[in-house]
Amino acid sequence: MTNPARILVVDDEPQLTRVLRTGLKSRGYDVRAAADGLAGFEAFNDWHPDLVITDLAMPNVDGLELCRRLRAVSQVPIIVLSAKGEEKTKVDALDLGADDYVTKPFGIDELLARVRASLRRASAPTTNEATQTTLDSGDFHVDLETREITVRGKSIHLTPKEFDLLVYFIKHSGKVLTHRTLLAALWGGNYVEQNEYLRVFVGNLRKKIEPDAASPRYILTEPWIGYRFNSGDGN
Amino acid sequence: MRRSVLDQRWAGYVVAALSVGALTLLLKTVGAHVNAATVSVALLLNVLFIATRWGSAPALAASIFAMLCFNFFFLPPFGTFTIAATDNWIALVAFLVTAVTAGQLSANAKRRAEEAEAGRREIERLYAELRDAFERASHAEALRQSEKLKSALLDAVTHDLRTPLTSIKASITTLLNEVRVESEPVKLDAESRVEMMEVIDEESDRLSRFINGLIELARIEAGELQLRRRWGAVDEIISTALSRAEPIVRHHHVELEVEKELPGVRVDERAVSEVVYTLVDNAAKYSPRGSTIRITVRRSGDELIEMGVEDEGSGIPFDLREQVFDKFFRATRDGDVRTHQPTGTGMGLAIAKGIVEAHDGKIRIESGRKGKGTRVLFTLPIGDDEVSKEPRYSAATVEMQ
Repeated sequence: MTNPARILVVDDEPQLTRVLRTGLKSRGYDVRAAADGLAGFEAFNDWHPDLVITDLAMPNVDGLELCRRLRAVSQVPIIVLSAKGEEKTKVDALDLGADDYVTKPFGIDELLARVRASLRRASAPTTNEATQTTLDSGDFHVDLETREITVRGKSIHLTPKEFDLLVYFIKHSGKVLTHRTLLAALWGGNYVEQNEYLRVFVGNLRKKIEPDAASPRYILTEPWIGYRFNSGDGN
Repeated sequence: MRRSVLDQRWAGYVVAALSVGALTLLLKTVGAHVNAATVSVALLLNVLFIATRWGSAPALAASIFAMLCFNFFFLPPFGTFTIAATDNWIALVAFLVTAVTAGQLSANAKRRAEEAEAGRREIERLYAELRDAFERASHAEALRQSEKLKSALLDAVTHDLRTPLTSIKASITTLLNEVRVESEPVKLDAESRVEMMEVIDEESDRLSRFINGLIELARIEAGELQLRRRWGAVDEIISTALSRAEPIVRHHHVELEVEKELPGVRVDERAVSEVVYTLVDNAAKYSPRGSTIRITVRRSGDELIEMGVEDEGSGIPFDLREQVFDKFFRATRDGDVRTHQPTGTGMGLAIAKGIVEAHDGKIRIESGRKGKGTRVLFTLPIGDDEVSKEPRYSAATVEMQ
């Protein structure tokens, strides 16, 4: 039997940490809680959890600062708890390295689904990108050498930029990617404010890969934030 | 514009010619009774009038025309432009020089006065424009500030509503998963189940308290706080507040120091008891278990009673002692006071202040004894009904737990 995944919950609301501790423990996770970012960072260093769930608004060291500090020392998956209307803080957290977010108020199932997806991504075997020649994810098969892509067994033709964008999406399947992250990765640091570039390319890509571009199932829009790619493998 | 200036100038020449002609005719008519000096003075006055009304050019024309009339009609030989006597030549030249000089000086003075007036009007116009611009800017700034404040208040309110809702929803969905048929087994022991229900219960109460607080605050702000003032004893008010606060102060010592022979007070007992409860609740929340919460009541002068609630907590920094009475302000969250203690709704002290001020009292914060902890003091007027000002006796010191 494998050890249960360890989850650190960082929130200044004692009632919410009580609920999350019980809810997550009932699913077999090992849970610890901390009341602010500072205590959270100390608990992380002591305990080395497999995943961190953190609130954004907290006294002393807030969730953003905690993301920054954690990313400086670790690649542990981070899920932030945020409120509707905190889109900017949410984007900042994702840009600082958070993997996902859940908007308050949330049902325990929604949080558990995000926890499972983040843990699955983190535990996926890492491949050496330099020697990797193919990518397989859900409905997608990519040959990185010949730059050929098949979706649901059907070959599609993409422009070089569309190809790069789709490969980036597939490599980060299930993760929320902010506009800024995508622009910086595909176009470089000078284009991080050019959201319209992204809209055009995502629009074209959807027409080529989605069964119905009007209601996409692979490239999902996260309003005000960016996109989340779902390769069709159940993530 | 230019056309009207020209019209005005031609009007000046016409008036100059007509007025000099008319004056000459008048002087000639009464000719026997006027001498040359009177004529010259009358014509000079006419030139001055033209100069002040129409400016230098019509005044110059009036001077020359007046000189010609003076020569033709009033200097011998009459009816010609020739002059017989030398002294008349001198008189004529003197008249011309005087008329031209006086006319020009007068016209210059008029122009300068007009320029000064135009300058004054321009300054007034600029001042008015500047004032309007400032007013518009300050109005826009006030609007912006007001919008900012509204947005901050909305954020605070939504945060306080959403936080308990999040705990309730997460608890409910955890409990629901137990009874729903799912592929993944849910292990929830009896203790966890009770804990989830306790959270739902506590957070529902929290929501309810928050909404009641909002209603109370809205009433105070709208000036609709209905005080039901009756004569009552201070110790009864404190006793009501303390029995309500009993579960909160379970782990603290509560000391009462009530001055002997205190008069009754004419207040809304429920409202003042709410103030005492809020202060005791805060004291318990922000001071360590086992520490002492001290409630004091004494007379302050002839007309006031001063009540105080003091704790042995970490205290409130001097610069936040006014702000803590602002609605939704929380020293532990907004004031960077380092603590892991729970924060309140940010409404208790605002409501307490509203109630105290509605009784014409004042509320303030000081450091506790020996400079430690927090002491909140508020005053209440004793009342205005002489009949009921009988002294009431209170226990000097009562210690609870």
